[in-house]
Amino acid sequence: MAQRVIDTNNRFIERPRSFCSLGGALLTVTALPETVPILHAAMGCGGSIYWNQYGSTGYLGAGYCGGLAVPSSNIQEKDIIFGGLDRLEEQVKSTIELMEGKLYIILTGCTADIIGDDVQSVVRQYRNEGISIFGAETGGFHGDGYKGYDIVLSVLVQEFIERQKVKKKNKVNLLGVVPGQDAFWRGNLLKIRELLEKLGLEVNSFFTEHDTLDGIRNAGNAELTIVVSEFYAHNTAETLKEIHHIPYMINPFPIGPTATEAFLKKVAETLEIPSDTVKQLIETETKHYFRYVERVADAYNDLDWQRYAVVVGDVNYAPAITKFLADDLGWLPELMVVTNDIDENQKQKINNVIETLTSQYPTTIVYETDPTEIKTHFWKIVPRKTDRLFHDDFSPAFVIGSHLEREFAIDIGAGHLTVSYPVGNRIVLNRGYAGYDGSLSLIEDLLTVIAAQR
Amino acid sequence: MNYLEQKVAPRREERLGSCIEFGGTVGEIHKQFCSGCLKNKRRAFSQGTICQLLPATAILTSLQDCVVIVHGAVGCGGAVHALGASVRLGQFNSGDKNPKGALWLSTNLNENDVVSGGEEKLKRTIVEADKRYRPSAIIVLSTCVPGIIGDDIDGVADALKEQVSATLLPIHCEGFKTKIMATAYDAIFHSFLRNMMDGKDETEFRVYDNEIAVTAEKLRRRRLVNLLNISSMTGPDQKELMRLLSKLGLEVNMLPCDAHPDAFRLAPFAALSIGVCPTHDDYFMTYLEQKFGVPFVGGQMPIGIENTSRWLRQIAVKLGLTDAAERIIKSETDELNQALKPLLSHLKGKRVMLSAGEMRTLATAVLLQELGMEILAVRPYHYDEFGGTEIEKLETINPNIRINVATAQPFEAVNILYRTKPDLYVGHNCDNIWAAKCGVSILPIYGTNSIYCGYAGAYDVARRLKRHLKNTSFNEHLAKHVRQPYKEIWYSENPFKYILGGE
Repeated sequence: MAQRVIDTNNRFIERPRSFCSLGGALLTVTALPETVPILHAAMGCGGSIYWNQYGSTGYLGAGYCGGLAVPSSNIQEKDIIFGGLDRLEEQVKSTIELMEGKLYIILTGCTADIIGDDVQSVVRQYRNEGISIFGAETGGFHGDGYKGYDIVLSVLVQEFIERQKVKKKNKVNLLGVVPGQDAFWRGNLLKIRELLEKLGLEVNSFFTEHDTLDGIRNAGNAELTIVVSEFYAHNTAETLKEIHHIPYMINPFPIGPTATEAFLKKVAETLEIPSDTVKQLIETETKHYFRYVERVADAYNDLDWQRYAVVVGDVNYAPAITKFLADDLGWLPELMVVTNDIDENQKQKINNVIETLTSQYPTTIVYETDPTEIKTHFWKIVPRKTDRLFHDDFSPAFVIGSHLEREFAIDIGAGHLTVSYPVGNRIVLNRGYAGYDGSLSLIEDLLTVIAAQR
Repeated sequence: MNYLEQKVAPRREERLGSCIEFGGTVGEIHKQFCSGCLKNKRRAFSQGTICQLLPATAILTSLQDCVVIVHGAVGCGGAVHALGASVRLGQFNSGDKNPKGALWLSTNLNENDVVSGGEEKLKRTIVEADKRYRPSAIIVLSTCVPGIIGDDIDGVADALKEQVSATLLPIHCEGFKTKIMATAYDAIFHSFLRNMMDGKDETEFRVYDNEIAVTAEKLRRRRLVNLLNISSMTGPDQKELMRLLSKLGLEVNMLPCDAHPDAFRLAPFAALSIGVCPTHDDYFMTYLEQKFGVPFVGGQMPIGIENTSRWLRQIAVKLGLTDAAERIIKSETDELNQALKPLLSHLKGKRVMLSAGEMRTLATAVLLQELGMEILAVRPYHYDEFGGTEIEKLETINPNIRINVATAQPFEAVNILYRTKPDLYVGHNCDNIWAAKCGVSILPIYGTNSIYCGYAGAYDVARRLKRHLKNTSFNEHLAKHVRQPYKEIWYSENPFKYILGGE
């Protein structure tokens, strides 16, 4: 397996496939019910994040009070020289006066973090007045959007979720799907939540229409945290364990019947759910999946819709889609490009998903952040066209990635579907790719690209 | 002006006395600006908005054969994921069937860099960018983090000058430095003027086939004009202005947007510079005249019927083409007025509010007035002396038209919307949604590959307005089912309550 090592944390990134931690935190906060964010940041952070959101999240709009409505201290040079706390205090006061919310969360930007404004002093002051408010240090230089999500949720777990000694049987918290960074976050969370509910669980998923602020406050009596990501939200899960004594389990992001079956079995085993219950659920869901697959199988076979594939995506999507293609759809994922900036230990976890494919498909794994370099990796494993009469080339082909891979797909004559960040050429509402039902949508979307040419 | 000796262009607050906080009427702002008492206000409540990095990346990522390095944390520059769509469209419109989109790099400054400085990382990025992409120019944009920790981007560029083959353009657009995002335009041109435009005439080094070719080039330059486009202009907008200028027999060197750096090198040899928006181009055109003797016309946008005619007349006067211009104006406006007739009945008396950049908002208001609509309120993103001409026109129509100077700040917009209940809101990308949630119909004030400029723009805006007013149900339903984040009491308060006087 050819793998290329890139040095992490010490190089530039071409067209980064992520928000900064402030952006990730802001999208997380605006996804929470009845919550008002307050940025303590330079004036452009709010706009920069919103424009980014516009081109990367499947046209996820501002929502209740995101976008250009987000309260922000808009600190200036003089605040940076003399400290920005007076401005923050004034902004918090006027925000509480003007904006309707049940929870206020202050998020700091680079400027405030570097000058070291003591945000907690402002938080304490308003808490004493009975306002539900906390602050998180989320300046962009702390990391990417995934990190911002983890930072702000960790603080939420620490400051907002009430401590409860007695745990409730079969109640779980669900983490690992990052609002905005995953354009399909709403659909994915709903689909996983519904599956877990069918398993008989009560689920706090923070960001769906079924979640409430009271539900989140009361999440401290869950008996398990289920993380559907090998990487995201681990600090939050760890904080839930430390403070609320809730153990957690880590799973790869599940797409398709093979991965989802393994996921459900693991959850059932951890929670000691009777094996009959999980067996029955898997049976019903598999039947549901094939009820639809059966009737697209005609075209799949008649029109020869098997494809070679290149999969480009973040640590959640890249292995999950590769696995679905290899283990369920019968496609040929020759190259998988993982786009997060991660270290060797983390890479091993991803490699493991691919090494344990049930189809044993020999996918080449590459770790690469930069879009223009993907072509270089591709041509290393795929022989170039020759002028010989007979040539076994990479066709028919498909590229599943972000909208940044469109140019590459056109170049190699492949179909293209945008799934991972940035998602700027698709509209995403309630669609999700997780689980059994989600993978049906993925089949729909992949094959529609091919059928649209007929 | 004498700023080019300095590394950093001045802030608009200092250079032009620009302000972003005002609430009142057009009559009041006109009077107050003239007496110099608009300065030094602030808001006790503010919402996240745009800093100079956004317009800078919008323009610079559209340049051909350039790489933009955003020197900062990984999120700065992320807006290009959205702005890149226009860049891609621009490349597609100019014939590239598989456009590459915007190419930019982030130096991805992290916790270590904040402590130990980002200059080394920037150096490595520049060297690698030069090697990997072989661009004609590398543009380095400084953001808040290097601005605070004190990275010397000019020093880095100087040190690498001999080592890389690309021309290096360090540009300062730290978000915390100015409240006026339009400072970005000065910052960009400042760097091009300092680092790329030495006034060397490339044709002097070129080998010409014969003397006729030399003479042809000389003649060409007599009718060569610089057209200063702006990033909110669409391909069709540019086409319309080119159409009008070519009717005058002029050849166009268009810059800065979508241009190759060579367009900057050629600019000092044009016969005239033509502006389309003083907010964008006054700094550059002033220096082109001061440094290279290229005269200019500017001060207004070619948006609106009368404004377009005035724009053409200004150009014609400078080039001695007045007769030709009058002929063009007459035939174009005759045809336009005929074409507009069936549309105007749909627009007559409809009440409008507008919000966007200073010149765009005011000029579009004047256009809508020409189309028979009633202007209730204008919300320019900032205000300075350039707005004066258009404000005077609005004042003549009605001195009590409301004006709210604010860079977005939708809380003030929503309050005014609740009071005035217009039929239509004509606003900036990303700020329309808050009017939409009030149930008002929206016409975006720029973009979407439509025409706004020139005579064709006047017609197209009218045509699109008719369409928007024909079915208003989407936003009406939206308003019934979603709510704004403000407490009820806000709608009975003074919309400018949070604007505080001098510090």
